Amino acid sequence: MRRHKVVLMSMLCIMGLILFGVSPAAAVKVGIVLPLTGAEAKFGEIKKNSFDMAAEEINNKGGIKGEKLELIVEDDMGRPEVGRSVAEKLITKDKVVMLGGGYSSSCTYAVAGVAQQNSVPFLVSTGSADKITTSGWDYVFRLNPPVSEYAKAIESLLSEVIKPKTAVILHENSLFGTSGAKSFEENCQRLGIKVLLRQGYEAGGIDFKPVLIGVKQLNPDIVYMVSYIMDASLLMKQAKELKLTPKMFIGGAAGFTMPEFKKNAGVASEKVISATLWHQVLRYPGAMDYYNKYVKRFKTETEYHGAEAYAAAYVIADALKRAKSYSRTDIKQALSETDMMTVFGPVKFISYKNFKNQNKLPTYVVQWIDGELELVWPANLATKKFVYPVDWLKTWKY
Amino acid sequence: MGKNLAYIILGVFSVVLPFIVTSDYYLHLIIIALMWVTIGSAWNLLAGYTGQVSFGHAMFFGIGAYTTGIFVTKLGISAWWGMAFGGVFAMLIGLFVGWVCFRLRGPYFALATLAGGEIFRLIATNWEKLTEGMVGILIIQTFTSKMPYYYIVLALAALCIYVIHLVMKSKWGYYFVSIRENQDAAESLGINSTLYKNISLLISSFFTGMAGAFYMNYMAFIDPHVVFSLHYISIMAILVGIVGGVATIMGPAVGAFIMVGLQETFRSALFGFAPAWTSEVHALVFGLLVIFVILFLPNGVVGDWPKIKRNVFRMKASS
Repeated sequence: MRRHKVVLMSMLCIMGLILFGVSPAAAVKVGIVLPLTGAEAKFGEIKKNSFDMAAEEINNKGGIKGEKLELIVEDDMGRPEVGRSVAEKLITKDKVVMLGGGYSSSCTYAVAGVAQQNSVPFLVSTGSADKITTSGWDYVFRLNPPVSEYAKAIESLLSEVIKPKTAVILHENSLFGTSGAKSFEENCQRLGIKVLLRQGYEAGGIDFKPVLIGVKQLNPDIVYMVSYIMDASLLMKQAKELKLTPKMFIGGAAGFTMPEFKKNAGVASEKVISATLWHQVLRYPGAMDYYNKYVKRFKTETEYHGAEAYAAAYVIADALKRAKSYSRTDIKQALSETDMMTVFGPVKFISYKNFKNQNKLPTYVVQWIDGELELVWPANLATKKFVYPVDWLKTWKY
Repeated sequence: MGKNLAYIILGVFSVVLPFIVTSDYYLHLIIIALMWVTIGSAWNLLAGYTGQVSFGHAMFFGIGAYTTGIFVTKLGISAWWGMAFGGVFAMLIGLFVGWVCFRLRGPYFALATLAGGEIFRLIATNWEKLTEGMVGILIIQTFTSKMPYYYIVLALAALCIYVIHLVMKSKWGYYFVSIRENQDAAESLGINSTLYKNISLLISSFFTGMAGAFYMNYMAFIDPHVVFSLHYISIMAILVGIVGGVATIMGPAVGAFIMVGLQETFRSALFGFAPAWTSEVHALVFGLLVIFVILFLPNGVVGDWPKIKRNVFRMKASS
């Protein structure tokens, strides 16, 4: 008898799952995959806000050929397998015409695999590991530059101003961290900078002192770090405590440009430079507008991750407007013909080297000066002069 | 008679299910749940019946998945062969783990397995030549339809439960339970406790490895954080067992459906019916539910079914 009930229970569970499926009606639906919970939730939040903002503006201006643009934002929890199931859900249950979003490289890679296999166009806005657009997937388009190009502006800054001899590279063990660190290592070798150490660490670490003490002993000219927010802040705070003073601390984008980095690291964030893909003062139409609107509405600053999302929404809208129909091949065709200006810069998907459907953009260097994120390189666009050399102990108020 | 009938109904129901559930999304959830049925049952054999609580089942899961992935990327052998070998490799690792860890008892064994899982995660992260490190392994799925995967994992789960059912009815089963209840007493009766603990571990690691290999085939993407995850694999295996009912044949099966169902319900904010912020508190609610189960249903949903009937449905326990 008891067994009976067990069987019944499990059946009820399954039936419950089936019955739960009701989806809202019409409008052009686009699925957006973002990490809204978990360690990367802050990035997800800034991107979601920007997507929502852009979608509202697009709809206020008449939407897509009179239809409403509906962005269905789903949480991938920063886990590739969840990203995968979310993408499948969006494609098969919500019947979205295309996908967008993608934050961490691992998740984006998994989602891109699903998109390609199901022939659903996917516009990546942040996931930056090279592999995502070098796998030859024709349904995957990427708005942001690949991680191997993040440090381009840093490179010219290094060879023209800092001229370091030695470097240490620290990176979190993730698709993004590892591939960013590896390509920076190659760049160093090309520039004749000796890499004394390249070390990965577990993301979400609670103590980097053992690693940093090793770095202090090596006494490198520069320390290059590829980290998300919490690790970035802690690395700098502990570098300050250990009085680790290379010529320059360099962040490889991601955590180092976020407002939370300044909040968490405090004075330790001062004068740190980072690669970035965007700054509100760039002469792209609407860039400053977007920044102001965001600050006004969400009471906090935005940076390149937000701009990517905001621009991505407009690229999606543009492609959907131009597409002959909402069939997947037509949308893919429209995306590949994209040639427009956004707050994030010009967008055009081209194939070069191993890359396919990749947008090509210049990168920049920002520095935290007096608590503000200032654009310092290239020099002709700079909002403030690059502060160098830095007396770290004085900066840290010792 | 009633019992057999129930199993027949369940069997027929399982076979025709993909024709009823046409949405890929729900079929995906059911496939994942069935995978957890396998892992949970395997964990239950070792922890529930033999009393050796493992905190490191991600180790076997990951080995199975990586064996398959490496077979495809390095040797060019079909991922389906990986499924057979995944289980065998996990078993070999299980043999080694048993050889080391079964010298320890109780919490020490649990801690050793916990460390084991982490060790393998670090190996997979750092041995980049073999495992691609954090870049992960991506393969191309064999089938675009979900149906074949459903039947494969259904067969795997059914086989796992059936084997455990047979084992527990045999002499081995009694040995396992006697070791759990009192190892010293069992040994004094002439039971070679190390041997039988190892047998239990081997069966358990084999099925967990098979589940891992299936995961690689089905999800087609793995990285060390996913398959060697302490939180999402090792702990989930324990939760599936505990929520369903430790040391019951059908417990982990029920537990798997409950856990996967709950997780998805909260992740998607009650399938979009609840306001979006509910998905942000899902981890919290999930934790509270687990505490509730442990406090009020210490034997799990299946183990404490009479209690649930008495208190919730106000029925008299009939069994």
